[in-house]
Parts: sequence; structure tokens; C-alpha cells
Amino acid sequence: MATNAVAQKAIFALRREISRIEGTLPERFAEPGSEDAVVLRHNGRPRGEASLLITGVPALDEALGGGISKAALTEIHGQHSRDAGAVTGFTLSLISLLLKQAPSKPVLWIGTSGFFAEAGLPYAHGLSRLFGIMPQGVLFAEAPRPVDALWIAEEAAGLKTLATVVIEISGNPQRLDLTATRRLHRRAAEAGRPVFLLRQSAQAEATAAPLRFAVTPAPAGKRHILGRPLAGSIGPPAFIIALDKNRLAPSARFVLEWNADERTFETRDALRHGRPQDPVALVPLPRHRPDMAAAAGPRMAYGLFRFPPAARQPS
Amino acid sequence: MLKLKRGMGVADARAMHPSVEIVEADPEADRRLLEGLADWCDRYTPLVALDGTDGLFLDITGCSHLFGGEEALVANMLRRFSEQGLEASAAVAATAGTAWAVARFRGNFVVPDGEEAGWLMPLPLAALRLDATICTALDSVGLRTIEAVMTTPRAPLVRRFGKALVLRLDQALGQIDEALSPRMPVPELSAERALAEPVMMVEDIERIILLLATALQEALERRGAGALGLRLFLFRVDGAVTRLSVHLSRPARAPDRMAKLFHERLAALGDSLDTGCGFDLVRLAVESVAPLAAQQVDLGHADRDDDADLALFVDRVCARLGRNAVRRPVPVASHLPERSVAFSSFANAAKIVETALPARAERPMRLLRQPEHVEVVAEVPEGPPLQFRWRRAHYRIARVEGPERISPEWWLESLPPVEKKDGETDPDHEKRRKQAAALKTTRSVRDYFHVEDTDGRRYWLYRQGSYGNADAPPRWFLHGIFA
Repeated sequence: MATNAVAQKAIFALRREISRIEGTLPERFAEPGSEDAVVLRHNGRPRGEASLLITGVPALDEALGGGISKAALTEIHGQHSRDAGAVTGFTLSLISLLLKQAPSKPVLWIGTSGFFAEAGLPYAHGLSRLFGIMPQGVLFAEAPRPVDALWIAEEAAGLKTLATVVIEISGNPQRLDLTATRRLHRRAAEAGRPVFLLRQSAQAEATAAPLRFAVTPAPAGKRHILGRPLAGSIGPPAFIIALDKNRLAPSARFVLEWNADERTFETRDALRHGRPQDPVALVPLPRHRPDMAAAAGPRMAYGLFRFPPAARQPS
Repeated sequence: MLKLKRGMGVADARAMHPSVEIVEADPEADRRLLEGLADWCDRYTPLVALDGTDGLFLDITGCSHLFGGEEALVANMLRRFSEQGLEASAAVAATAGTAWAVARFRGNFVVPDGEEAGWLMPLPLAALRLDATICTALDSVGLRTIEAVMTTPRAPLVRRFGKALVLRLDQALGQIDEALSPRMPVPELSAERALAEPVMMVEDIERIILLLATALQEALERRGAGALGLRLFLFRVDGAVTRLSVHLSRPARAPDRMAKLFHERLAALGDSLDTGCGFDLVRLAVESVAPLAAQQVDLGHADRDDDADLALFVDRVCARLGRNAVRRPVPVASHLPERSVAFSSFANAAKIVETALPARAERPMRLLRQPEHVEVVAEVPEGPPLQFRWRRAHYRIARVEGPERISPEWWLESLPPVEKKDGETDPDHEKRRKQAAALKTTRSVRDYFHVEDTDGRRYWLYRQGSYGNADAPPRWFLHGIFA
């Protein structure tokens, strides 16, 4: 028994060391529900569900090992600059999920003047309508060059006041190399807060980010009126998400739809099969009231049904 | 002596001295030099005013003891000017007029208080800063010195030569106050350090800034205020002055905070900061302050003020990349998409009362700064678009929602002017103006379409104007990108 305990201790120490070096994914070593399930600590904080951003799509969460690590840099790629809509949309959906847990913290959106001129700034009315992000919760930082944008991001990545830092760089500037991403990743890991690096119209490069998504636009579903799809209508935004770099699972592809009313991701299948009621109000939305998303309480039971099993819920 | 005079012709001068070098006058450059000298004179007093094209007024009230008295100040200044290769004369007097007269007509003196009249009397009338015409007129009646004017009865003088003469005389004698208009606002507080050995390294400058900021901290604490705007003056040995400003989004008096902001400001300058032979005087001035109450520090809780961290971060970014580098969107009461969101700086945003966003129809997630013109093919003239070309790429539209009509804000615009016909009555004219306004409004009505192309990209297009007007066919624009 004693030798067993000593061996266990050595194994745990090694696991902790490995997870420290890799900076992520300690839960890979502890199968949920198995006997040697342990709480690994990262920088003194227990690593568990609280440090993960759960997307709410079981298959995607499975592939990500529970969710997107909050203490990490996450890269989101778009192949062309005209895909900026899909890349931005997917990022904002993730931020919206994040803000569900910490609604009062501001989001810092960093970009270069060149790209803001090309694709425009995120629009406050669109942000509040689709993602429930209020204008007072966003800060835009505009840098003349990618180097300056990286400098702002590095300085901001250490700030615990911010909910998240988004840095948007287009093309493949030389300064955005492995070292630069490693610095961003380290700072994000120390602050325990996600940093999203949006690579617009960029080729995939070596990166220190543990996770890289490639986002392409997908045709939207149909608007549901009275429980039935309306022909020719443009429904909630949809994205094709490819897991380009992921240490846990082979690359995979998902088609996700963003439900702006519930502020959740949904897969196409779930949409097709069971949509119990229409989330779109048939009467005009009340003005000068909180967003619809906050008031939609009764639907939670349905949401729980599709959530990951109870064992994975944050306690 | 060359015997050359002001106003002499070039040919005459050449005739007298064939080897004379002719340089064309450059008033702009002279002005720049004078302003540079005025900047440099900031080291003696913050109140420096330009005097015409060839002089400076310095208000040294309360400053002279720092240099060991008025004589020592003048001597110091003249020595430094001559080291810079400039010939200058300076005089100190209780009034600006007397100092001007003495400096220009007598030389480098310090006029003791109350003896202005005695010093002025023997001087010619030009020493009173009068127009040349008044001087000639006075000259023609035999009044050639200030003494002559002072002893003449005043009423006839005013009647004949105007008030300016007496005004200048009274100003010179100190009977009427003369306000100097300083070039720069006087800082609330300032601290400076004169250096025996000029500094050239940016690190050294930053160390001095920290020392100066520490010196300012006490003064700010005594006032119960925090600094909002700071300005750094770097006086170079050869006379050039560099001014750097930083702004804080919330009042602060912590020296390390100020030093950090100047660190970013200096880093942004990089090599463009010309240190030359070094700086021999560094001054840190507080340009604007705001009340800042002392805060109780809680020993039990080590957690820091998070908002202050964010404010410091924003200030640092703004110090480096310009004041508008970090902005926050502010909703505005307007239904036009581009007008409905304004941007305000982080510092101002705190004061703005947030209004809840009204629930609106579908709005894009990114809005282009300027709507971009696109070429559109539509099936029927007033119908939805079928395909469009944007930035040289072709998009085939699969699905369309819309249109959503957005009219211009006619109540904010003025009526357009209409040419007035001869013999037309006024009401008719007004009617035509209103018609023109209505036509303008219909031309700038926008019909917005939410479109999805065959690849699933979603855009916000609009058509401005309508078909039927031969002179102004409708134009299509792309305004936003949907998720």
C-alpha cells in the first residue's frame, strides 16, 4: 500500500510537471469518473471546469477536452479577409458565452487601423442585438501598425480587469511569430483569462497557442415562424469551425449556429430535430427594456438536456 | 562701420560695399527663431510673451531670486544668449513699457522701482512704442523727447494726437496696468531641476522625471488634487526646447504612474527625440488638476484597485499611440446606422450617462466606416439585388431579406437654397425651397437589404435613391458585414 501511494505521488508530480510545461490540458491524465481522478493545480489554482470555456456543443467540447482553456491564447483563423464576418462572429459568440459568467467586465478589442478601415469596427448595435455585449462593455484600441497592436495586447493580457483581450491582425506580419504568440500565451496563462488572436486572411503558421480554429462562413438556417421554417429567410448566423490545431483530438469540423436569444451554440442536427418553440417574438420587442436573452428563463430545462453530462457541470 | 541703413536699396548697398552678401528676408524663419527663443526663456519664467517680431517680454515677478537677483538673472540670460551666438539687450523695470524703452534705447540696465520717469525722460518718443505717424506729427510740433510730452498739458495732446500717446505714457509710468498675454497657459504646478552636467540618455531623463513627480506629489497632496494633464519641458543646451504632454483619464498623483506615462511617451518618440548635446534643465508641469481625495489604504486586503489598473493601461496606450488610441462606443439617438454610434475617449466615457439601446431590427456586426460603392444587378428595378461586385470580387446572392427603409434625418438638415426668380413673391419661393428639400430627402432614402451569398457570407447592402429619376439613378452601397 505504501509503495503504491509513493508511486501515485511520483506519478502525480510528473503529471503536474508535464501540465505545467505544456500549460494546458491536465485533465487529459485524469479520466472523469475513474479512480485516480485528481485535481491538478496550475499556478496554484485548481484546474477544472471553472478554467474552461464550455461551448455547450457536446461533440465540440469532447474534442476540446471539456472546453476552451481560459488561461490560454486561442487563435482563430480566417482564410480570406472577406471571411471577417464569420471569424468575428464566432469570436463574439465565444466572448458572449464568456460574458455570461462575468458580465460586468469589459472586453478589449485591439486592431490595426488598416484592418479597421478594411472591414470596419464591430458595430455596437449588432453586438448588443446578436451577442448581448453592451457598448459600455467594449473598448476599442486602434494601433497604426501590427507591432503596436501586439504591444497593446501584451500589456493588456496581464490585466485581470478585462474579461478578455481580442487582437485582430490581418495577413502574416513577420513580428507575429512563435515568440510573439508564446509571450501572449504566457501572459494569458498568468492572468487566467483568454486572449483571442484573430488572424484575418492569414496562412497558418507555427504558433504557441494550444488551440487554433479555422472559421469559414456557412449558409444560415431559416428563420422559424410559428414553429416552421420560412422559405427564403436568413436565420441565425452559422459558421463552419475546423479544429486546425488541437493537442487532444484529431482535427475535426463542426457546423455551429449561434442562437442569439439564448446566447448558446447549437448544432444543425439539434435544430432540425427538436425546436420546441420559436424564440423570435411575434410582437415587436419591448423598447427600453433589458435584452430578451436575460428574460428567457423557462427554456433552461431544454438547454440542460443538451449540455454535457452532470459530472462535467461546474459545481 | 559699414554705414548701411535700414530701408536702403540693394543697389546702393552694393555700390558702397561690392562684396556685401545679400540674403533674402524670411519673416517666417525669424518668427520661428523668436518662438524658439521664447520657449527657451521659459526656463526663467513661465510668463513669456512675444513682442512684435524682434522682442520678448518676460514677467519675472517672483522668479528673480531663483537666479540670485534681477541683475544676476539678466547677466545669466545675456551670457547664455551670447553663447548661442545671439546679440541681445535686456532691461528690467517695474513696467513693460519702461523695460522696452530702456532695453532698446539705453542698454542692459535694471531700473529701480519708482524711478521710471527719470529713466524715460531723456529718451526719444519712439521709445514709447508709438506709431511712426504719431511720432512724425509730434516731431513736427517740436516734441522730440518723452520729457517734452510729459511736461505738456494732456488735454490738447489727446485732442490732437489721439489717446494712444497718453495711454502708452501712462503704461510706461505704471499708472495704467498693461497685461502681457503669455504664449502658454501658466501651469498649475511645476517642478524643475537644473543639471550641472547635461543628460542625454532617455533612462536618465526618466529618472529625473520620477524625482520631479515625487516633488510634485507633496504639493498636489496639500491641495487635495490630482494631476490630469502633465507636460514635460526638456531644455537643450543649445536652446531648443522639447515639450511632451501626457493626459490621464483620472486624476492621480503617484509619481510612478506619471513616470510610466512619460516612459511610453519617450518610447514612442524613439530616435526622433533629438538629444543633441544633452538637456541641462528638465521641468515637469501640471497643466490641469482635478480634486482627488486621499484614500484609506486597507491593510487587511491586498487586492488592488482594478479600475485604476485599467485607467493606467489606457493612459499608457494613449501616451504612446495618441489620445484617440483607445475609445469606447457610445450610443447616440439617431436611426441612421453610421450616426447611431459615436466614439468617445476612455476618460470622457466615464462621464457619459449610458442609455439603454433600443431593440432594433437586424443590425450587422461590423459596420464599414464609409459605405462602399458596389455594382449591383437586380432582377427588377425596385427589387432585391441578384449579384454584386465589391472590391473587384464577384458575389452571387442566394437569399435576401428586406428591404428596410431608412430615411435621412430631414429635421436636422437645413432647407437647400433655391435661386430666386425676378418678380417672384416670397411664399412661392419658400414653397419651392420645401419642394427641393423633399426631393433631396427622397433621393437620399436608403433601402437596406440583408443578403447572403452562395458561400454563406452575409452582407448589408443598400440602395440610395429610387428609379424614375433620370438625372439621379439609384446607387448601391455595401455598409456592413453580418456574422
